[in-house]
Amino acid sequence: MAGASALGLSAGAAAAFANPLAVSANAIARREPRLASRAAWPAGAHAATVSDDVPVPLHAFPDSATARISHLLRRAGFGETAAVRDRFARLGVEGAVDHLLDYERIDDSALDKRLASLAFDTAKPRDLMRWWLVRMVHTQRPFLEKIVLFWHGLLTSGFQKVGQGPQMFNQNELFRDHAVDRYGVLLKAVSRDPAMLSWLDSRSNRKSAPNENFARELMELFTMGPGNYTERDVRESARAFTGWGLREKSFFFRAGQHDYGVKQFLGRSGRFDGDGIIDIVLEQPAASWYIARRLFEFFAYDGPSDETIAPFATTLRESGFSIKATVRRILTSDEFFSGRAYRAKIKGPAELVAGAFRTLGLETDGRGLDGLIGAMGQTLFLPPDVAGWPGGSSWINSTTLLHRVNFAHHLSSAVRRQLQQQLPRARVEAYRADRQARIEGMIALLLDGELAPDQRRVLDEFIQQAEGGTKRHGVRQEADLLSNVDYLILASPDYQLA
Amino acid sequence: MRLSRRQFLKSSAVLGLGAAMAPTIFDGAATAVASEPGGAGLDRRTLILVQMAGGNDGLNTVVPYSDGRYYDLRPNVALSGSDVIPLDGHVAFHPSMGPFKELWDEGALAVVEGVGYANPPFSHFQAMDIWRTADPEGKGPYGWLGPYLDAARDDTQSPFLGLAVGRRLPLELMSPTVAVPVVESVSSYRVLTTRLAPEAAALRTHALASLYRQAPRTMPHTGLLDSTLAAARASSDDLREAEEAYTPAVEYPSSRLADGLKILAEAIDGGLGVRVGHVSLGGFDTHAGQQRAHERLLETLSQALRAFFLDLKAHGRDRDVLVMTWTEFGRRARANASGGTDHGSATPMFLLGTPVRGGLYGQRPSLSNLDDGNLRFTTDFRSVYTTVLEDWLGIPADAVFGRQRFERLPFLAAL
Repeated sequence: MAGASALGLSAGAAAAFANPLAVSANAIARREPRLASRAAWPAGAHAATVSDDVPVPLHAFPDSATARISHLLRRAGFGETAAVRDRFARLGVEGAVDHLLDYERIDDSALDKRLASLAFDTAKPRDLMRWWLVRMVHTQRPFLEKIVLFWHGLLTSGFQKVGQGPQMFNQNELFRDHAVDRYGVLLKAVSRDPAMLSWLDSRSNRKSAPNENFARELMELFTMGPGNYTERDVRESARAFTGWGLREKSFFFRAGQHDYGVKQFLGRSGRFDGDGIIDIVLEQPAASWYIARRLFEFFAYDGPSDETIAPFATTLRESGFSIKATVRRILTSDEFFSGRAYRAKIKGPAELVAGAFRTLGLETDGRGLDGLIGAMGQTLFLPPDVAGWPGGSSWINSTTLLHRVNFAHHLSSAVRRQLQQQLPRARVEAYRADRQARIEGMIALLLDGELAPDQRRVLDEFIQQAEGGTKRHGVRQEADLLSNVDYLILASPDYQLA
Repeated sequence: MRLSRRQFLKSSAVLGLGAAMAPTIFDGAATAVASEPGGAGLDRRTLILVQMAGGNDGLNTVVPYSDGRYYDLRPNVALSGSDVIPLDGHVAFHPSMGPFKELWDEGALAVVEGVGYANPPFSHFQAMDIWRTADPEGKGPYGWLGPYLDAARDDTQSPFLGLAVGRRLPLELMSPTVAVPVVESVSSYRVLTTRLAPEAAALRTHALASLYRQAPRTMPHTGLLDSTLAAARASSDDLREAEEAYTPAVEYPSSRLADGLKILAEAIDGGLGVRVGHVSLGGFDTHAGQQRAHERLLETLSQALRAFFLDLKAHGRDRDVLVMTWTEFGRRARANASGGTDHGSATPMFLLGTPVRGGLYGQRPSLSNLDDGNLRFTTDFRSVYTTVLEDWLGIPADAVFGRQRFERLPFLAAL
């Protein structure tokens, strides 16, 4: 199933791969290898460590403008081609962040036209996934799609319970409408969202026996995390959401099913309704810390200290829970450009696949991409449970890693045919001269020019052996060799990291 | 330096777990070791974990059908006494669990009632972590089977000590030294090299593995990526060979759970050395419209496990395999108004297979003496784990629980 069609590549779309890219001569940052200290474990268990929950010593953020801008574009979007990246680089970090976050100013009508021509039936899971993946690859507003991906993970819902129909599409558009709004506004909209009402059973929440599902997850997953409320708070707040339901697939308040009585909630007492509960929850200090942490971990790195989170929690509170203000502060912070953040996250499947297409300048109609990211563990609109995708090291296991590596095989195979057509007939010496420039270009584009010396040696040895392994070295052999190097870069451990 | 399991058995003190419990570790586990090869040899024994994810409604699974309070508490959700499948005069299986009743009649199914622990959280994730780590805080990076996998690594180089079916590696199989393959489908479980000549393919795959080995360990995740790729490469050929050599002896029902159990049966039949397998069935979070969903789930579960059992039996491997089900919590005794049940506490567990001594274990939770609307647990889940660790897997439970000691239950037949 290798080839262009399996990946939804349009004809001739793989050209970017074949064009030798300008060489950027970034020195590899020097990283002092130090011994990792491992967490305590019953004696003697150090032979071949496979666990991944242990702090590693700091390495420095690479001293390179390419790495800085590429890091930003990867985290706040899905990566960019070399040409677009260079344009962003000229804006400087602050300017680039403004350009990403103030996306309303950017015309995205070309994407709308493209989507219209693809005529997806967004009521269906597969089409909706493709629709979104095409957006991620081809939008001029990459930050918008990235933060919608964040909301889809945090305030998640899924077809498995909501059912086919427009609800999941509408929820995704709701996230887009309120993507950088005040969090309270988004949360109140989500609490009335038909997909969410089905997903967390609010639609059947009656005063005679309240359904606690939404009330519990509102506090546990959406605002504070466990430990900041009691079971009584769950039960009382469930009463406040009674009567919220659906009629003809739209939000509908059934006054007769609403409990108008006094509720005792988080130390307060009153005749609260659902909005009142959300207001009280967001007044809790725990809420600003929780949301700041979730945003920081999504954009920067996992497991930050409280001290690291403090300024962002403050920004949230002082800005009335403005998502835009808080994300801006995160993306311009020293922590975001620290060694703790660089290549410290594992790309999620959608990020990896959409990111590869976008960075390589490949076109897609979405076909095939949905199955790929599903196999890697992220079927969009079908989250594994109410907490969304756990992310981090849970993206990696033997099956998902094989699918990632095999994705590199499909991509590089699709591109190989173009290579064979474009390469001139030449002597091996001439190939060698161009080859190095192209490989450096790919390393600059896909790995920020950052590849450890030992890994570079692996590539060099592979090239030598591959060239020596054939009697005759012509166009076909050179195309094989280049596409195999593409494969190794795309399948490398470094490329799995964001 | 690591310890062999035998050293491990003899010297819990080396593990920093204290020698105070030393006498107790020899009464069950050590005799099981000493009595090899009566019954299954320890190194042939397999534990299969079946997760019922979402929180299974125990009261509608093992139904106290003779208790009038059951019907009072859940008028809209209670199962009719004439539909359920009685086990005795007090409890019955859900009507869709016919295949479990057959196992029960054959003496191959044990039910432990009222399993839980003190001060349970009602969050799915906290509760799952507690079950998976066997730690009341749910903290810690490794699973309750981690120490076992770690010790078993000495006996064999098999990459299949643990085998998880699905898309995610479950925390209970995480250990510091054993990389557990996660397999969703055997046919796609390999490094693709289509179109490449064999020598070129070998060269490229070798270079790939070197890139993983040489990735700087100063970055988080590079160690995980390297060990995972190594485990995937080591296991993919074996698994495909096992699949080619294997013919199921029964027709498995059509469900993802059954497909998963079939992969586990292939691996067991193929002698890949699986010590712990894991497969999951989701959808038990029945807050609304529970009746139909729960019926389908229990039907899927019991049909698939019955087929798995018969398949192992036909392949002569049933004596080597113990199946244990678990779920993060039971559900509230009183139903809600949506025809569903909210998160609760105590719940039954099933142990299944030829090694099992069939019957009811533990104590039925009272429906009149509830704890804030929830069942009070009567058996600590760590008692079940202790029994499985010591009497089935043959390692002392203090490797997991330290000085804390939990009573063993007699649900395993004399081995």
